[in-house]
Amino acid sequence: MKKLTIEKKRRLEGILFISPWLLGVAIFFANPIIQSIRLSLSKIVKFKGFVMKWYGFGNYSKAFIWDINFVPMFLNVIKDTFINTPITLVFSLIIAMLINRSMKGQSFFRTVFFLPVLLGTGHVMKQVLGMGIGEDAMAVAKGILMPEEFMRYLGPAFTQAVDGFLGRITLILWKSGVQIIIFLAGLQGISSSLYEAAHCDGCTSWEAFWKITLPLMTPVLLLNFIYTIIDSFTDSNNPIVDYILNYGFKNNQFGYGAAMGWIFFLFIALVCGLVFAFMRKRVYNAGLKQG
Amino acid sequence: MQAGTSEPVQNNASSRKVLFHKLTTRYFWKDIVVNLALYLLLLDLAFVFLYPFLDMIITSLKTEEDLLDITVQWIPSKIFWQNYKIALDSLSYTSFFKNSVVVTILATVGHVLSCSCIAYGFARYRFKGSGILFGIVVLSMIVPVEVLIFPLYMMYSRLGWLNTFLPLTVPAFFGFGLRGGLFIFLFRQFFIGLPYEIEEAARIDGCGPLRTFSSIMLPMSQSSILVSIVLSLVWHWNDFFEPSMYLFKPKVSLLPARLSGIISMFNAEKVVEDYAETEIIFNEAIVMAAIFLVILPILIVYAFLQKRFMEGIERSGLTGQ
Repeated sequence: MKKLTIEKKRRLEGILFISPWLLGVAIFFANPIIQSIRLSLSKIVKFKGFVMKWYGFGNYSKAFIWDINFVPMFLNVIKDTFINTPITLVFSLIIAMLINRSMKGQSFFRTVFFLPVLLGTGHVMKQVLGMGIGEDAMAVAKGILMPEEFMRYLGPAFTQAVDGFLGRITLILWKSGVQIIIFLAGLQGISSSLYEAAHCDGCTSWEAFWKITLPLMTPVLLLNFIYTIIDSFTDSNNPIVDYILNYGFKNNQFGYGAAMGWIFFLFIALVCGLVFAFMRKRVYNAGLKQG
Repeated sequence: MQAGTSEPVQNNASSRKVLFHKLTTRYFWKDIVVNLALYLLLLDLAFVFLYPFLDMIITSLKTEEDLLDITVQWIPSKIFWQNYKIALDSLSYTSFFKNSVVVTILATVGHVLSCSCIAYGFARYRFKGSGILFGIVVLSMIVPVEVLIFPLYMMYSRLGWLNTFLPLTVPAFFGFGLRGGLFIFLFRQFFIGLPYEIEEAARIDGCGPLRTFSSIMLPMSQSSILVSIVLSLVWHWNDFFEPSMYLFKPKVSLLPARLSGIISMFNAEKVVEDYAETEIIFNEAIVMAAIFLVILPILIVYAFLQKRFMEGIERSGLTGQ
């Protein structure tokens, strides 16, 4: 047998390690994607055996022109994404920084902030929220974060804005367990000698946050951003997920369901692409770009 | 920002002097105030997090009268275990518990085995196209289930995998399944942070790549393995979406699906109370007891792994210093 060069050998070893994934990609990713594109461009005429007929862009135009529910729902989801994602990121970063300090009761707080993840990532949570507990907790959050008397002086417009904001916050907080954990992991990775050196040079904590913490956290921020987006799009609280599945499975319109899925995906890809483009130069020591 | 940095104390007089000095400096008071404010904020946030949980446990122990009585919010007049018994029976807990355990453990094992191996390949080997392939890993994280679910359903239907546990467990062994990409990403990030020297030393000593991975890298990545195990367990246990697609025969359903059945019965009774034909009338307390029973195994597992999980999180090397 001819002896392999070291480079070729290394390459073979690498492929060996990722071979299960290569197989997985072919079966569980690439093939379904191609099928899905085909499906979104056709119509199932016979359900038994899934016989398809070419339908062109009919499914897509149906989503935008014929279906009166899809577009408003879609716009709503877009709006929610743009509002919720930054709030989630900011709050989970703040909480992660708070529980990262050495203090009494640290492990208690860490456990508490991870509880919602255990409580159920989607469906159980939806039920718990649906039972009216959500509203109670919102009232609780409101009472603690902002005393009633204080609100009375500020006029209805402001109160309404605060109400809307707080209502969101509670729901968002419950969904940010994993993000907090990921941020915490990132914060733990920053060496404390950096802060000490900065402190010796007369840097305040505020400056240290903007000049040390934030730049070093950019890769984690990117990861968290992607996680938040994916999570919000597969969440069973998301009305559009329900809608697509109902349409697809209950009405047996796989083609239309797939088409809506693709419209949805294009939006996610667009958002993620924009964020990648924006963060590309700003990510320090980019974990994602090392590959 | 540490309150009261303790200086070495020589004797009483000087310690009093130090104390006096401390109390009169502005920074000392500022620190105390800042610390107190941060504690209050944390407690406040913690309460928002704990509230639904406490409410669930307490409601699950209430009697029917307590549920209607608005003065009973936190302390039930009598602890009513009966709810749990009814919930256990109507969930058929023991038989469906087995289903859930089988699926969750198989999928978790699959994720840990496959994702660590794949991630090692991506972290340590550069070859033509490896960048693009890792891009596909990221892409597989982004593509929502809605796009893939219809073709996957068709594929599983052709293979005759519907109403078996195969669609939920087999993809996990190939680095796919529920958020497989994320686990590959986490492991890769960890492996990148490890020094090369150990592997080089192993190679010089004649250790093959597979052996290096299994007997050197894997034991070193215990913390990452633990984090993946906890997250994978929790996500698979609670997952409702995929099981509800592929398992529609009642015999093979998992606990979350059973729970959802109870909840919909409860909601239905609220709407048409006159038509309540079932012998058991589900009240809110029973529903809460059922929810608690479903998440209880996860809580127990987490209680055991909590400390090491947090340590693992701290060592996951996400910022890669």
